[in-house]
Amino acid sequence: MTDHWVSFSRRGTAELVHLKGEIDLANANDIGRAIVARTTGADAVVIDLTAVSFLDSAGVRLLDFIVGDLDDRRKPVRLVVGEHGAARMTLQLCSFRSDLLATDLDRAAEELDR
Amino acid sequence: MSESGGPDVTQELRLPWDDDPEDLYEHAPCGYLTTLPDGTIVRVNETFLTWTGYARTDLIGHKRFRDLLTPGDQIFHETHYAPLLTMQGEVHEIALDVVRADRSRVPTLVNAVLESGPNGTPRIIRTMIFNATERRRYERELLGSRRAAESSEQRVRVLQQIVADLAAAPTEAEVAEAVIRAPEPAFQAASSSIFLVDPERDELVAVSSTDPTTGNWDDMPRSSTRAVAEVARRGDLHVIATVAEAEEHFPDLAESMRRSERKTVVLLPLTTGPAEEHGAVAVLGVLAFSFREERVLTDGELRVIRLLGQQAGQALDRARLYDEGRRREDRSSFLARTTRALDEQHRLLQRARRLVERVVPEIADWALVRLQVGPAGLVEYHGGPAPDPELLDARVAEAVETCAPVYAGDGDGLDCTVLPLTVRGRVIGTLALRMAPDRRGAGADRLFLVDLADRAALALENARLYEQERAIARTLQRSLLAADVPGADSRFALETHYQAAAQDLEVGGDWYDAFLITANKLAVVVGDVVGRGIDAATTMGQLRSAIRALATAENGPARLLEGLDRFCERVESARMATVVYAEIDLLSGELAYATAGHLPLLLHEPAGPPQYLMQARSAPLGSRAGDRRRVEDRIRLTGGSRLLLYTDGLIERRGRGLDRGFEILAREFSRLRDAPLKGLTAGLADILVGRDHGDDVCMLCLSLGTEERLERSIGADPVQISRLRADMRGWMAGHGIDPDCLNAVLLASSEAVANAIEHGYRDDPFGMVDVSATISADAVEVRVSDHGAWRGPGADLARGRGLQLIYESMDEVSFDQGEGTTVTMRRHRGAR
Repeated sequence: MTDHWVSFSRRGTAELVHLKGEIDLANANDIGRAIVARTTGADAVVIDLTAVSFLDSAGVRLLDFIVGDLDDRRKPVRLVVGEHGAARMTLQLCSFRSDLLATDLDRAAEELDR
Repeated sequence: MSESGGPDVTQELRLPWDDDPEDLYEHAPCGYLTTLPDGTIVRVNETFLTWTGYARTDLIGHKRFRDLLTPGDQIFHETHYAPLLTMQGEVHEIALDVVRADRSRVPTLVNAVLESGPNGTPRIIRTMIFNATERRRYERELLGSRRAAESSEQRVRVLQQIVADLAAAPTEAEVAEAVIRAPEPAFQAASSSIFLVDPERDELVAVSSTDPTTGNWDDMPRSSTRAVAEVARRGDLHVIATVAEAEEHFPDLAESMRRSERKTVVLLPLTTGPAEEHGAVAVLGVLAFSFREERVLTDGELRVIRLLGQQAGQALDRARLYDEGRRREDRSSFLARTTRALDEQHRLLQRARRLVERVVPEIADWALVRLQVGPAGLVEYHGGPAPDPELLDARVAEAVETCAPVYAGDGDGLDCTVLPLTVRGRVIGTLALRMAPDRRGAGADRLFLVDLADRAALALENARLYEQERAIARTLQRSLLAADVPGADSRFALETHYQAAAQDLEVGGDWYDAFLITANKLAVVVGDVVGRGIDAATTMGQLRSAIRALATAENGPARLLEGLDRFCERVESARMATVVYAEIDLLSGELAYATAGHLPLLLHEPAGPPQYLMQARSAPLGSRAGDRRRVEDRIRLTGGSRLLLYTDGLIERRGRGLDRGFEILAREFSRLRDAPLKGLTAGLADILVGRDHGDDVCMLCLSLGTEERLERSIGADPVQISRLRADMRGWMAGHGIDPDCLNAVLLASSEAVANAIEHGYRDDPFGMVDVSATISADAVEVRVSDHGAWRGPGADLARGRGLQLIYESMDEVSFDQGEGTTVTMRRHRGAR
């Protein structure tokens, strides 16, 4: 049911989470559950937000939770956002740590895999 | 002495009948006893002594009369005889047994008289004793024959009852139950058992017994050497009077007679047919009954037993015919019901499912249907237990290969009959049935199963064809409907909805289409082709293409319909299709429309109520009877107008007039005026037809131009927020708002609405959130209002990421909390 918004792949040890479309109050919880089911136990996670056309505070809360969880387990995580776009805007407005943000998926995955 | 030397009769001359009184006393033909009142014998005659073997001296003065009686008679003497004698002075014909000196008994009849003295005191008793040995025997015989008569009468009664039961017994089993009850009451048999002939399997089947511990209970072939089978073959009553006799002729019977302690056995064939012609009788079963003692049966009893055999045989014959008739009736009724039940399901899977559910438990304990459809095939099963899968696979393969049924055999370890499902000589699958051994095998059953398989095959093949056609039609329809309608144009927005009929019917011929004729001219169409299924879908595709080809900048709606009329001359299936067609000039806002037998357009302009456009009406496409003068009408629309095109499934409802349908549609369309366009058509379908509708619904809603002011009311449902965003996005894009500003306003508006839903309407799922937005030369202003009561931790307005985002993304934000909460937000246009 969340397939519409979220899909997964692997790059080396890193779990890649691809998000797509609008993420808001209506679907953030379901998407969160789908992601956590996959990232619990992952050694590194890259969340690709380049195809996200809208991200609201519920989405931010979700990302914050996932990042916090990985930080606690001392596993690296990156959020890939485009140079422009809704996701970058929202995350910047929320002052997400700049070390979390990346603009290139491949490079982010490579970094974590090292 | 006489002189002649003959007997001297002079002195003692007597006539032969002139008895000497003394001699008469001594040798009288009965015994005499004289006793004292206490019973002591004082005188006894010779006759009595001869009968009893006592010496005179044994008795006189030594014994009382009662001492000579049996213990039972002694009691009788004390309680009845003596008191009676004392009271009446005499007794007559009292039956007493006198015990002889050798302890044997003499049955006697006794008369006695009590002699009293002059003063009335008892003096002596004179007793006369008759030997009643012969009389007693006679009496016993009399009693015996009376008993015999009674038992014969009882036998007749029992048999009459059984014959009555037999006549009323409709089934073999009930006949067997009636017959088996006969021997015990009628002949005092110890137990009885019944075996019935199963002609299909050529066996004798042990059906029932009043004492199953006797005898051998295995079914046996009719050719068996066992006594029961032998008697069934001969068709004659056999009485095996002793174990020795059994030993000689039927060793198996002798064995079970010894084991169950039976001395005599009767084996009675249950026959039908003329009794006189020997050999013409048919044996339908054998009744066996036995006795614990050696029993001699009288001729009368044997006659009655034979009669019982014939009566029971006839009853069995009748029951078998009746059973057979009923079975036939049951089967044909089952086939009819099954065919009907299968017809009720159109889909293949459901039909296969229903087949196995019909067959179990009526015919089989377990059933499995396999169909060779699709890459994986289709398998449905029901009941249990399932047979060994490998053995079953082998049998299925055999049935498919030979294209013939493989019937279950005894002891094949599978118990399964596999029937190929054949249509037009092609095996499309198999039906495997597992039945308990007593439910299968008969020749008639085989014909029935083949009949069942044929019907099932046809029904499943029809469903498969239906399924195939349905899939093609649906694919075709989907591909035609899914073709992208134009979007990403700020001058208009489109929303479409297609909903297939709830009842799982074939696809309908409803369609919608929208396309740009020129850069500034948009065409929208909704139509409905007559009929359903693949033909309708194909025709709809053709019409759709024809409309796209005929729609030119010059033609206009009326000429387009004329073109479609010509098209119908060549494509017969398009005849009588209905179409509503409209062209919108995106520069001037002019709408040109025409309807061919279709429901009118529904227009809602920003001001005023919605209205049906009733002009420009003409007959369905290719109509021969209708008015085919194609006309069109033009009307100028203001920005923000909404136009609805729809098919009859939306408003037609059983039990509701069409007028009423129009009324409701207009009312609901108006009510949703402020709802976001996205989801509007689906919402209308939900309200008007619900989920349970019998017809397809097809809708297209066009929202025209850019509203100066965006006004929306949405329900307190997070899903609504994305719809609102879609409207706002289009609206702002239409006003040329730059992406940064647009995204920021969308984010802030979303957060404000989310806050209203999460906090304002925490306890009110029916709350509404009002959103209004205006665009000026330098800024976008959005106002979000709710009427809820803000409560909970989120009520702290200064906190929360959502509020933070609102503040961050907008330039001015103000909250007003009175009756609910209103957030007013403003963002300057252009990059920050």
